[in-house]
Amino acid sequence: MAEEHPHPWLYAYREDTQSTRLGGRVLRPFVPVSLAYGEESTGQLVGLVDTGADAILASDLLTEQLEIDLDENEGETSHAVGGRVVTARYKTVILRLHSSDAETGDYREWQAQVGFIEGWHSDGLVLLGSVGFLDRFTVTASRFAQAIAVESRDAFDERFGAVFSV
Amino acid sequence: MEAIHTDFTGYEGQYVAIDWRTGEIVLADEDPRVVLEQAKGRNHVVVHGRVPYADEPLYVGLG
Repeated sequence: MAEEHPHPWLYAYREDTQSTRLGGRVLRPFVPVSLAYGEESTGQLVGLVDTGADAILASDLLTEQLEIDLDENEGETSHAVGGRVVTARYKTVILRLHSSDAETGDYREWQAQVGFIEGWHSDGLVLLGSVGFLDRFTVTASRFAQAIAVESRDAFDERFGAVFSV
Repeated sequence: MEAIHTDFTGYEGQYVAIDWRTGEIVLADEDPRVVLEQAKGRNHVVVHGRVPYADEPLYVGLG
């Protein structure tokens, strides 16, 4: 069910599959997302909120479930990822952000371009960057609180005033 | 709020899915397609990706 449970949605930080850094556990701001295209959709996937990324990137394996032909893409861009250059082929899909309350089944959905990458090093992960995610929501991350809050995108202006006028 | 911990020990080299409520691993396979397909439609099950071996480099973000 979409659009019933009001924001903010709070998500606990979660342990990464990469075990340790200097002996300590690696915790990251993950949220559950899924992708849909036409009549097809993926299951829920871990999405990493990454303010340093400009786009939404994901494994091209997901296009198999979505029955997307990436030869019919909307554009290609090269990215430097993990010390190598990869090509993202973009396609507009439906993204769904699922509620932190797993019992409600609630989600928000919107359309955005996703750059699908061949040989993505951690298939299943979706990288949630600025365009397509952080322009849709106000996200507050606190490693101290070990949680992130996702609110409506107007929440920032309501809290701090409009910094920029368009 | 406390972080959700998952014990990935023993799953190195495999793709895993977790129970989002507990962090417990509920699916694992060396083929990501298997995990993606089996996770589809299951409540609370979220695909988490591949568990690296201990000697693999630590990524900064996903970069």
